[in-house]
Amino acid sequence: MFEFFSQNALYIVMSIVLIGWVGIFWYLLRLDKKMNKIEKMFKE
Amino acid sequence: MAFKLILGAWLSIILIVGFSFPITTNPTNWYDLPFVPGLEDKARILFFHVPMAWVTTLAFIISLIYGIKYLTKKNLDYDIISSSSAGLGMMFCVLATVTGSLWAKFTWGSFWNWDPRETSIFVLLLIYGAYFALRSAIDGDEKKATLSAVYAIIAGITVPFFIFIMPRIVEGLHPNEAIVSQGKISMNKTMLVIFLSSLAAFTGLFFWILNLKVRAARLESKYYLKGE
Repeated sequence: MFEFFSQNALYIVMSIVLIGWVGIFWYLLRLDKKMNKIEKMFKE
Repeated sequence: MAFKLILGAWLSIILIVGFSFPITTNPTNWYDLPFVPGLEDKARILFFHVPMAWVTTLAFIISLIYGIKYLTKKNLDYDIISSSSAGLGMMFCVLATVTGSLWAKFTWGSFWNWDPRETSIFVLLLIYGAYFALRSAIDGDEKKATLSAVYAIIAGITVPFFIFIMPRIVEGLHPNEAIVSQGKISMNKTMLVIFLSSLAAFTGLFFWILNLKVRAARLESKYYLKGE
């Protein structure tokens, strides 16, 4: 297990950063959608 | 919507490519990245840390421009854009500082070395920290907007000095040669393409978050106006 982690450290870091980015991206998309809804409500 | 999805996929590809393309002393394949002496695998920070610093500069310059616009037109919307941009600039500045500091630990042996770049970014953080302290200390929208616009202009003028000029006047440890060496770009094509794509993607991300932040601030001000 330790050997696997030490030999693939770069790919493990990449996966963690990628998961973090996907999370941030998804959050921003949802925020954008919610903002559109609220803006529509204010217009009405 | 399409722009946002493309941006998401684009940054994901940069992340995968930036981490997984091999660094070799003699790059022969199209996907090989060149070996930078003293940096080795740590050279990959270039694809993320430099765009963060670039976005910081861009955000502070936008804050300055909208500060000037506010003072000439007295439109509170410009104050919203100026302060939102400064806030985002501060966030990216902190991210650039943290990533740089982590990198410094593994390259120079300590998280903080008072290198000219570290010192200049620290001073920038202090300057813009004071900007938000100033904003929170003033009551009244117009007074707050006017004073912070003046401060954003003065602070914005110092940004090119601290980011581009000061670290080049004083000799330091920061490896600028990884990008430009003796006036020439020292990266190979693959590295340059990833680097420039990353710069563009981070710029796109910045404008997207700025758009969200400005819209939220506009809604907030509308809500308070309706409440009164």
